[in-house]
Amino acid sequence: MQVNCNHLQVGYGDTVIINDMTITIDKKQITSIIGPNGSGKSTVLKAATRLLNYQKGEVIINGRDIRKYKSKELSRYIGVLAQKHSAPADFRVKELVSYGRMPHLKPLSSFSKEDYEIIDKVMKTTGVWHLRDKSIYECSGGETQRVWIATVLAQDPEILFLDEPTTYLDVAHQLEVMQLVKNLNKNTGVGIVMVLHDLGQALEVSDKIIVIKDGKKYSEGTPEEVITPKMLKEVYNVDADVISIAGREKPVIIYKELA
Amino acid sequence: MLRCGMVMLVLLILLIVLIFISCAVGSAGYSVVEIVKALFSKEDSIIKVTVMYLRLPRIFMAVLVGPALAASGCLLQAVMRNPLADPGTIGVSAGAGTAAITILLIFPNLSMSLPLFAFAGAALACVLIYTLAWKGGIDPVRIILSGVAINSVLGGYNSMLQLLNSDNLSGVLAFMNGSISGVSWGHVRIAAVYTFIGLFFAFMCIRPANALQLGDEMAKNLGIRVNLSRVCLSAVSAFLAAATVSVVGMIGFVGLLVPHIARMLVGSDYKVMLPTSILLSSCVLLAADTIGRTIVPGLEIPVGVVMSVIGGPFFLYMLRKRGKFNAG
Repeated sequence: MQVNCNHLQVGYGDTVIINDMTITIDKKQITSIIGPNGSGKSTVLKAATRLLNYQKGEVIINGRDIRKYKSKELSRYIGVLAQKHSAPADFRVKELVSYGRMPHLKPLSSFSKEDYEIIDKVMKTTGVWHLRDKSIYECSGGETQRVWIATVLAQDPEILFLDEPTTYLDVAHQLEVMQLVKNLNKNTGVGIVMVLHDLGQALEVSDKIIVIKDGKKYSEGTPEEVITPKMLKEVYNVDADVISIAGREKPVIIYKELA
Repeated sequence: MLRCGMVMLVLLILLIVLIFISCAVGSAGYSVVEIVKALFSKEDSIIKVTVMYLRLPRIFMAVLVGPALAASGCLLQAVMRNPLADPGTIGVSAGAGTAAITILLIFPNLSMSLPLFAFAGAALACVLIYTLAWKGGIDPVRIILSGVAINSVLGGYNSMLQLLNSDNLSGVLAFMNGSISGVSWGHVRIAAVYTFIGLFFAFMCIRPANALQLGDEMAKNLGIRVNLSRVCLSAVSAFLAAATVSVVGMIGFVGLLVPHIARMLVGSDYKVMLPTSILLSSCVLLAADTIGRTIVPGLEIPVGVVMSVIGGPFFLYMLRKRGKFNAG
């Protein structure tokens, strides 16, 4: 499965936010979208998943125009976790995760044995099994984020879209979510597309990185190809070195010392 | 799930007890044994006539009207993602009020068709608010704001008409303070048809209502058509409220109070919250009406007034106790 965005233009009224964006996302890979604040990263993610309408261009999923999918049908191919989501505080974890099975439910029917098995399975893979009887209110920030990932995972999608999944989490929980994403991709083969702020994380987990600047694609490629001092200067306007350290597979970014 | 079952069982028992109490008390008090004996006897005793034609229709009306208003409130709270939404928010009360006041004060010869006009007024006001709020989709905040605006315009018109006709307000006041006194089995039959149709569709809305609680983007991701769902839920809600208002006038606070208490008792899942609201609202409205017609001997206090006066403080009390009532 592939997601192709061709010459995408997104905006409100006369304001153009995304201009002539052409990107390809492959299943089974981890793709990160990075860029400065306001560059349009989240907008691309939303347009590619039909959360937002686009004005020009097209989004093709599995060789078919995204607009030709029925809502429920699309929800069985892609799962999207946006930045904004909320659940009534009294919802229990297993209850919330079960909503992920909604796209697979026929009208008026209830969950089958298979649905419950999938719900249990995703709660185990995301490490929220021990929380299943707790209410959302009782979960910490990191736990809540894992519960939401479990919910979209219960949709059994081929590609999972995550919008800044580590924002508002402390470093331990950020790394935990990144590890979870990597494991999910490796063990279940689900494709991951995420908008990330932390370039170090993008560098470490991604198979492919897409850099966006001012609503346009600046570059795309493997982390080593994309994360360069030149890109950091031109896109983020920061001085930095990207260096390899013995014993680490991926290079690290060293920012210039503050004056 | 066990807890929800228990809550519903308790409410059901409470409702049955309330029905018996309401049959028994009033300007003439009877014992349950007397009532049962009279109802099953062939002759038309005073007890039988009083219970059969005065008290029972009224009881059934309360038991039907409550659920219609409560279900309407439940659905609107999902549409708006706002716990303060009730049928008043989408203009149902103001629209029905405007139509009723216009008919009663300017075209009194049309009074026979008052329910029809009240229903049309409620529906019109609701459509107007949604049309004004529509901008490439439905944004709850815009509905609430345009609702406030339309409510204020209609409210001003209503006040003006009342001021100009201050000597002729008894009919208007009866309508504005929703009362179920003097209803016949005929009224009950109409209300039953409306309520059952409305509640049937309300039950069909449970899944989208639940999904909307997770935020628009999550609902969309789960394959829910957010705008369409909001329109459908609002239409069902407006139908339930408008039908009720047109038959018994305006009864405030049920649509707000009951869903809240239900949420505290069984949680926010509409699968259990909606049925709980329905049972609870029957109890609440029946209790309020029974209190209204017995608390001051010889005087009828409209159920709408009782609801507001007792419901307000009770609601505040529930909010203070919320910690304990939260479905954990």
